Amino acid sequence: MTVLGQILLSALFQGSLYAMMAVGLALVWTTIGVFNFCHGVLMTLGAYLAWQFVDPEALGLPMFVALPLALLVVAAIGFALQALLIRPFIGRGDVVLVAVITTLAASSILKNGTLLVWGPRPKSIPPLAPDTIALGASNVSAHQLAIIAITPVVLGLVWLFLNRTRVGLALRAVAQNEDACQLVGMNVTALYALAFGLAAALAALAGIFFGGFKFMSPDMGTEPLTKALVVVIFGGIANITGPILAAYIIGLFEAVSIYYVGFYWTPALLFAVLIVVLMVRPEGLFARSSRGLA
Amino acid sequence: MSDLLEVEALESGYGRIGILHGISLATGGHNVGLFGPNGHGKTTLLRTISGVIRATRGKIRFAGEDVTAWPARRIVELGLLHVPQGSRLFPDLTIRETLRLGAWPRRARPREARNLERAVAIFPRLKERWNQPVKTLSGGERQMVAISVALMGDPKLLILDEPTLGLAPRLKDELCAAIRQVSDEGVRLVVVEQDVEFLLDLADHLYLVNHGEIAAEIRPGESMNHQAIMEMYFGRELGPLT
Ligand SMILES: Nc1ncnc2c1ncn2[C@@H]1O[C@H](COP(=O)(O)OP(=O)(O)OP(=O)(O)O)[C@@H](O)[C@H]1O
Ligand SMILES: [Mg+2]
Repeated sequence: MTVLGQILLSALFQGSLYAMMAVGLALVWTTIGVFNFCHGVLMTLGAYLAWQFVDPEALGLPMFVALPLALLVVAAIGFALQALLIRPFIGRGDVVLVAVITTLAASSILKNGTLLVWGPRPKSIPPLAPDTIALGASNVSAHQLAIIAITPVVLGLVWLFLNRTRVGLALRAVAQNEDACQLVGMNVTALYALAFGLAAALAALAGIFFGGFKFMSPDMGTEPLTKALVVVIFGGIANITGPILAAYIIGLFEAVSIYYVGFYWTPALLFAVLIVVLMVRPEGLFARSSRGLA
Repeated sequence: MSDLLEVEALESGYGRIGILHGISLATGGHNVGLFGPNGHGKTTLLRTISGVIRATRGKIRFAGEDVTAWPARRIVELGLLHVPQGSRLFPDLTIRETLRLGAWPRRARPREARNLERAVAIFPRLKERWNQPVKTLSGGERQMVAISVALMGDPKLLILDEPTLGLAPRLKDELCAAIRQVSDEGVRLVVVEQDVEFLLDLADHLYLVNHGEIAAEIRPGESMNHQAIMEMYFGRELGPLT
């Protein structure tokens, strides 16, 4: 494969993972107005639960049962976390700060819990598609291609949900005016729970993507969370299209930088660019001034 | 006949600050108008009735149910729709999307198409701005959307908090005619309004809210003229009205 092909492939692949993580983070921010530092560990849990359900040493369920089951369980965990960590503090002026502390604390507890339950031995889950596919002169893993293909479909569905269904519309509305939501009869706490559950499921899916091509560890969610934060800050947290575009742009930037500048300097270069972007556009690249989804 | 809305010795406020000190009123079969000086608790009264804030004492009955401790969403489900004072609505949603959300209550879903038709018939201007975000609308247009949202909820009782706030006289008349039309279709009204003419046009039963209490009342059939209301405002010659 040509250099350009390799760079593009890597950009699309990394961009997909970043987008999958960042959209959940943006979803929680736009509906509830807090940053969820559990988002990384939800990704970890998604991968480990998928392993638990699918691995022959564990439950050994077929993939098409195990993976949706893992997503559902993580969504339920997200739902419960929201009820414990965030809902009690909604309405307080300092909820943003309180949520930083509660979600960081829970993240650390869950990370150690993962270590206790599943141990430090590296694990992996089967790839979504096992083979390699010949693309031009070289072989590309089908798992990576599957991720590149599935991500836009999933995120497209999320976009349609937020823009074309009444419940999605309600999620966008609750971000904009909570009182008015109550006055048309919405259950605002249920909408918060839904946003958090959906975000958790997206994180879990990212974890399943991840566990299919790298070894899993209890700490595996930390770096993707940092990246997702960079992506939403870069793209603007006003909606979900901003972070999605930003995820692919950052994927491309990293792929180019890794090829030409090297692995070592790429993070530094990325942060330098981020700082410049924020100096020019403090709201992020694609943000409008107000908070609201889609 | 039992009243659609009945409020009894209602007290509420914000935190430890009491704003309402025992308010009682009832709709009977009439439209109710509330007026009074700024900051004396009219909006607080409406927010307590619709369940946005909790009553600390007293009772609210609506459509035969004691709704005093109910959350707003359940009260909406019974058919009480509240258009708040100066609502921003949902700034980034279009009119079309906003009205779709108006049909959120389960009981309003089967009549969504009919209610939409009714709202558009009353406010034809909305059609011209159909896919425009609400934040780009004028104050008057936004007020029309706010009322339409409530109409989409299929109200039995429509609560309007200063619907003409900041509107030009011509638009006021237009809005007044529109609200009258809603009322003629069988929706009861509770209206807070500073514009006395507007209030006299719509309501048959008036209450003056002063210091979180009902300071005076003009019952249906009693003479209601501009003069009498002005006197109530300024506290002169209250005469037979208490
Ligand atoms: N969220 C709040 N927190 C604390 N106090 C409030 C709050 N909202 C209103 N108040 C106070 O309650 C009192 C009554 O306010 P309210 O909005 O009910 O008056 P109003 O009669 O509707 O006035 P206006 O005619 O100006 O709309 C005011 O003194 C106001 O400062
Ligand atoms: Mg008011």
